Amino acid sequence: METLEGTEWDVVIVGTDLPRSLLALSLSRSGKRVLHIDRNEYYGGDEAALSLSEAEAWATRYAGNGSLDEVVTFSHARIETSEAACDVKLSQSRAYSLALAPQIVYTQSKLLPALVSSRTHGQLEFQAVGSWFVLQPGSDAGSASSLVRVPSGREDIFQDQSFDLRAKRSLMKFLRFVGNFEEQAEIWQDDAERPFPDFLQQRFGLPQSLHAALLSLTLAATPAAETPTSYALPRIARHLRSIGLFGPGFGAVIPKWGGLAEIAQVACRAGAVGGAVYVLNRGIDHIDNAEGDPFRLKLSGGEQVLAHWLVGTADNLLTKAPTPPHVGPGLTKSVSIIATPLPKLFPVTAEGGVTPAGALIAMPGTTPGDPPVYIMAHSADAGECPSTQCVLYASIALPFEEGQGRLRAAIAAVLSSIDGKMVPAPLWTMQYHQHDLGETAKASHPHCIVLPPMSLDNALADVVLEDVRQAWRQITGEDEAKFLRFDPREGMED
Amino acid sequence: MASHGVPRVSGTATSDKSVAAKEKEQRQIAEYKGLEKDVIDRITGKDVSNDTFQATSRLLQQNPEYHTIWNYRRILLQDVFSRELASGNSAVINTQADEAHNGDAQAASKAGLTLAQQEISLLMSEDLAFLIPLLEQYPKCYWIWNHRAWLLAKATELLPTRTASQRWRGELALVSKMLVLDSRNFHAWSYRRSTVEQIELLEGKSLAEDEFAYTTKMVNTNLSNFSAWHNRGQLLPRLLHERQATDEERKTTFDAELELITRALYTDPYDQSLWFYHQYLMSTLVVSSSSDANGDARRTNILAAPISHVTSIAYLEQEIASIEDMLDGAEDCKYIYQALLEYSQRLQELADGSTDIVEPSKMATWLDEVRKLDPLREGRWLDLAVSLKL
Repeated sequence: METLEGTEWDVVIVGTDLPRSLLALSLSRSGKRVLHIDRNEYYGGDEAALSLSEAEAWATRYAGNGSLDEVVTFSHARIETSEAACDVKLSQSRAYSLALAPQIVYTQSKLLPALVSSRTHGQLEFQAVGSWFVLQPGSDAGSASSLVRVPSGREDIFQDQSFDLRAKRSLMKFLRFVGNFEEQAEIWQDDAERPFPDFLQQRFGLPQSLHAALLSLTLAATPAAETPTSYALPRIARHLRSIGLFGPGFGAVIPKWGGLAEIAQVACRAGAVGGAVYVLNRGIDHIDNAEGDPFRLKLSGGEQVLAHWLVGTADNLLTKAPTPPHVGPGLTKSVSIIATPLPKLFPVTAEGGVTPAGALIAMPGTTPGDPPVYIMAHSADAGECPSTQCVLYASIALPFEEGQGRLRAAIAAVLSSIDGKMVPAPLWTMQYHQHDLGETAKASHPHCIVLPPMSLDNALADVVLEDVRQAWRQITGEDEAKFLRFDPREGMED
Repeated sequence: MASHGVPRVSGTATSDKSVAAKEKEQRQIAEYKGLEKDVIDRITGKDVSNDTFQATSRLLQQNPEYHTIWNYRRILLQDVFSRELASGNSAVINTQADEAHNGDAQAASKAGLTLAQQEISLLMSEDLAFLIPLLEQYPKCYWIWNHRAWLLAKATELLPTRTASQRWRGELALVSKMLVLDSRNFHAWSYRRSTVEQIELLEGKSLAEDEFAYTTKMVNTNLSNFSAWHNRGQLLPRLLHERQATDEERKTTFDAELELITRALYTDPYDQSLWFYHQYLMSTLVVSSSSDANGDARRTNILAAPISHVTSIAYLEQEIASIEDMLDGAEDCKYIYQALLEYSQRLQELADGSTDIVEPSKMATWLDEVRKLDPLREGRWLDLAVSLKL
């Protein structure tokens, strides 16, 4: 078609972030006329993967400190490059695919079977997240921190010489309990809202030295003292139940080539094969008729289009997005390119197992009221950087002013803890702040669907898929069992 | 491993199949029966052609448990081997095949084989390759492992030592891979033992140290590995003998094994395989006289023979105390009580005549706990009470 002017669509989807891209995927066999637009000139929205020059443009765009009367998703973005002389230099821009959303996907996640049944998994490569570490501060003031592996099962506990037989026994007892904690409510119901470390201490006699390891398995961004037992237990259970599902030695995966952005891309591609039209650099400027049926939309290129269904975020749909009732500290995040591959972070974790491309490091807060830093390490095998380098993604649940220093210190601590060798400062670091604007009102019109953006969780939550399923049902009215279940296309091998 | 502890569900268990599915099944059954009839007819007709061989391949791919067909396949192979050996490298070749034949002859001499051996070796390679996907699909089928063993035995018999030894090394690599897929497959462990035995024979050196290290690796990967612990126990006395270990070294090794298994038991006292290994270690403490210092005792002992009363009693007391400690935090573990009762009984027998080493009231309490934890075996606990005179 030559122009969008005057066209009519069954569904217009605004934004190509992961939830909206999954929706496009789910509609790709429905025969509906779908227009999928994105204000950016790249796919992926908030979950995009950026080359170096794209990251620079992105950082310029979101450099602001956030206005006083409006809460924005991204702010405070800035980039630093290291002046230190070293043999390794930054490669050309396209050699990098830095993820705004480096979330891990647990093997138990409902998204993975959905990718299989929708015939998209063949276009995706997933890599293992192998080791989990806790960064322990040095015993003396001046000494380096050390990376301690978190035991993720019975054999890890058996081999770990750092805690005594009693502690091994207690830890095993706790892990066995977590295995089916849902059926043992009497053990933890009374402590449901109490801080998780207290529960560990009192109910299982687990010493403080083991709390950090167990908390790291929850990936909870809140400080230890503010993480309730009812939040921690299901997350640890999910972690333990995921181990071994896809192969020995790991329980979570990351998509290759730039995190969740790759899944969004593949989903959009499937949408296009199904007939959807994709237009970048377009947003909605105005909805002319709030009463809809169909909606008359004015796009940012000046075109007028008609839509029977409209899907977007509160941000780009509602004429006056209400300020979310409670906005927490959000997450201060950083992306650092490291000049060495740091192989110590990515050992093979099981006999005959895969070489992982991801690792997770938790640095507990200095006091129980301090939030932890999480660092997701991606090796070059994740396809995000050249083979002589690796990428560290860090985050902490603090406002930017406090958070950025903490992240810098955490990255430095990780680098100095690896083997005592002189590891240079990061080649390139981008820091920014991200708010969770997930609290959204529903649009008043039944044909206008507000799909919440992804939460700031470090692990992909199943609720993302649930929201997409609901939206899909509203639009198609089909039986739930058909959601993301497709037959292979003619002529295509599965 | 997903398949352990999960009941096997037959693929045809579903009774509510659609009509189309049932028809498809009928067709598949008819096809299979046709294939089976063809093969059986050929066998009865003593047809030893290559076509028959291919037919057995097709049948075995569908039903590897059909051991009669494996038998006949071996008859076919044996027949070919014999003919190859009988023909030797003489034979009048027609000019067309001359080129190819010379190529074969060159390849054969390069490998240090006669032409006949080269042919046999190629056939074996093909058959072994045929078995691999079957083995991956049916890792617990006796007949597949048997056929492999037969082929390898033939290699030892008919091929030069170096070639055979290479093939056996290949088997070791294969079995290691199978154990990665399922570390508790006892077929694989048994095959591993015979493979190791053959390699040791052919290469004239012991693999005990390597194999011992392998068991360490396997239990570190999965504590609940009955086969790995068993293999470890088999290797230990032999290892010590080969190292020509002194009495001191033997004691150090024994204590280290006890420490290892105690650490494992503290981690998980609910795992039966660990208790079996503990029992094995304690069973090597059989009191012996100096006349047993050679022969059998050397093959099963860890500690230096002769083992005195005093040594046995000391270890039993030490372990009973250690296991009693394990109760703390695992009061619902019946294996602990069972172990305590067993070792107490042995202690009583050894100390027979002297004062009661273990208080009967304690033993009675332990027996009561076992009764409570495992009421379905009441009869067994009654018998135990009688034998313990409780």
